[in-house]
Amino acid sequence: MKYLKYAVAAVGLAAGVAQADGRLETVTERGKLLCSGHNGSFLGFAEVDDKGNWKGMDIDLCKGLAASVFGESDGHLEIVPISWAQRWPALQSGDLDVVIKLSGWTQSRDTELNLAFSNPYFVGAFHVMAHAELGAESVADLDGGSICVSAGTSTERVLAAYLEKQKIDAEVLVFEKADEVRAAYFSQRCDGLILFAPPLAATRATSDAPEAHVILPDVLGLEPEAIVVPEGDPKWLDVQNWMLSSLWFAEINGITQANVDEIRANPPSAQVGKFLGTTPGYGERLGLSDDWAYNLIKEVGNYGEIFDRNIAEPYALPRGMNELYTNGGVFYPLTVD
Amino acid sequence: MAKTYQNPNIIKRLRADYFSNRTDTTLTLIFGACAAWALWNLISWGLLNAVWSAEDRDLCAHGSGGACWAVIDARWRLIMFGLYPYEEQWRSGIACVVMVLIVGLSCVPWFWNAKRISALWLTGFGIFYVLMRGGYFGLTPVFEQNWGGLSLTLFIFATVSLIGMPMAIVFALLRRSELPWISNTMGVIIDTIRSLPLLSIMFTFAIVLPFVLPSWMIGDKLYRVIFGYALFFACYQAEILRGGMQALPAGQEEAAKALGMSYWHRIGYIVLPQAFRNALPPTINQFVITFKETSLVVIIGFFEILASGNAAFGNSEWNFAHVEVYAFVALIYFVFVFALSRYGAYLERRMAVAER
Repeated sequence: MKYLKYAVAAVGLAAGVAQADGRLETVTERGKLLCSGHNGSFLGFAEVDDKGNWKGMDIDLCKGLAASVFGESDGHLEIVPISWAQRWPALQSGDLDVVIKLSGWTQSRDTELNLAFSNPYFVGAFHVMAHAELGAESVADLDGGSICVSAGTSTERVLAAYLEKQKIDAEVLVFEKADEVRAAYFSQRCDGLILFAPPLAATRATSDAPEAHVILPDVLGLEPEAIVVPEGDPKWLDVQNWMLSSLWFAEINGITQANVDEIRANPPSAQVGKFLGTTPGYGERLGLSDDWAYNLIKEVGNYGEIFDRNIAEPYALPRGMNELYTNGGVFYPLTVD
Repeated sequence: MAKTYQNPNIIKRLRADYFSNRTDTTLTLIFGACAAWALWNLISWGLLNAVWSAEDRDLCAHGSGGACWAVIDARWRLIMFGLYPYEEQWRSGIACVVMVLIVGLSCVPWFWNAKRISALWLTGFGIFYVLMRGGYFGLTPVFEQNWGGLSLTLFIFATVSLIGMPMAIVFALLRRSELPWISNTMGVIIDTIRSLPLLSIMFTFAIVLPFVLPSWMIGDKLYRVIFGYALFFACYQAEILRGGMQALPAGQEEAAKALGMSYWHRIGYIVLPQAFRNALPPTINQFVITFKETSLVVIIGFFEILASGNAAFGNSEWNFAHVEVYAFVALIYFVFVFALSRYGAYLERRMAVAER
């Protein structure tokens, strides 16, 4: 993996020199946004429906971005199927304009790979699920038991660190693939199963008997997930950050996909009016049209709606710390002035 | 060792083969019971307790005890056609049939001369490409990155074989050139590529090449990967062919030379036909491997049949049904690979007739 990292970094440098024009201009000229999909599917974030259309939280953000730039995503968005390993090279080579693919903000990616990260849009926690019949109420109760984990992921590291810190003596069983880990847990080979929260909730919700499994409240580790663009293009990064901020701004001000027209016709405050483009300024500074935030909300709704539609409803995953700060979460909009 | 029977009575034969003494009987009973148990479980899981209709999804999510084929019922179009636009999927379907048809037809001996086989493949491939890509005859264009499922797998396999085979012949001929600098250079190239993993070659062609090549040479990612894969195929196949050529007695070529036949005649009429016959079993093997390894392109983000299978069980509704989807994909692979190897066996029998 190491050599790949350096290769990608070198390629990134070369590409940085080659691309003098900003990505926003490139995208506008092309008339299409190239956004990351998945090779297969990733529960809740990038799935494919019966008709071969993409859906999911990451996909909705891609749609939102396309709508922000072009007014609507239809005909202006290309979801490029891409694997985890390939997303950074593809971003640097211009096969992708932006990576919205549940990617954690890590120091090595930020520095060595020449990537730039937006504000996180999702905070993923690692949780442990246990068989309900064990009566465990926290990970500490699994002392002396066993926990299944998949190999080579950050999950394995997080689990080891947590067990060491809490002095919990549990046997760690490592499996290669996500399917195998789940199968091992469900066939009672281990007492607990550690996974990233969204797939963990999905695993529980779709199991034979969801009530036979409990997700323990311990947060073993956190990973902030952000939108990734190439380094050295501050305007393009600004667009990402303001798009995310707009989704939270809309939520905190009660603007939804359904009532956005109404609110735009009768803005309750000058700030909201400016946000929805009734008075100029909000878009122009970013190089977008002034009503871009209106188009964004019209297309995908506010952050809460995106979360509920893709994560909360299908997988019964509570929003937890992904709530707005007003509800005890970690997200907040930037100031619209 | 084959036994001969005076009286081919089935009971006697069974007794002689499986129950002739105490050890045999015990072993037969033990393994027979194991096999019956496995078979029974398989049947009761896959057929008797299985859920077949997509409408019964809740039944199989909460334990019918059998296979949940409902997932295939609901998602088969996704598995077969990937991200291909839903309304246009009939095109992808016909394209698959066309591809299977030309592969089938090229197995018919009538097509076995250079003109007929190339005419067949050019027409068939043209139809396949126009159907898939569109842009002509009022078909809406569908770009390569939206291709997927079985048609993409078939397309990659067919193109790799089609480009790779002529390349392999050229490589093999260069490799046995009488000029040492040609044969040695070719030897180094072949061995270098053979010592690299296929995955790294695909990765290089898909990702690194765009930074090195001038922009007019880059082309679509799909074609770069296919070219890299064809190169890899050609290097292996070239060595297989060279083996086939070396098995020929040197006297044949010398005799041809003495008769005044030109190089191309010697190669075309004497060396290659016999080399192919000698190398047939490993060649079929190589095709089978190539077909199965098309699934590696999933790593570079193509939506071939394994990836679309993954997508098929990757949502909140069907998340639990990965075994059934993998079984279905395995069945598709099996149909193709088994047909391929049966055809290889037929060819070997046919050629053995020629030798007698």
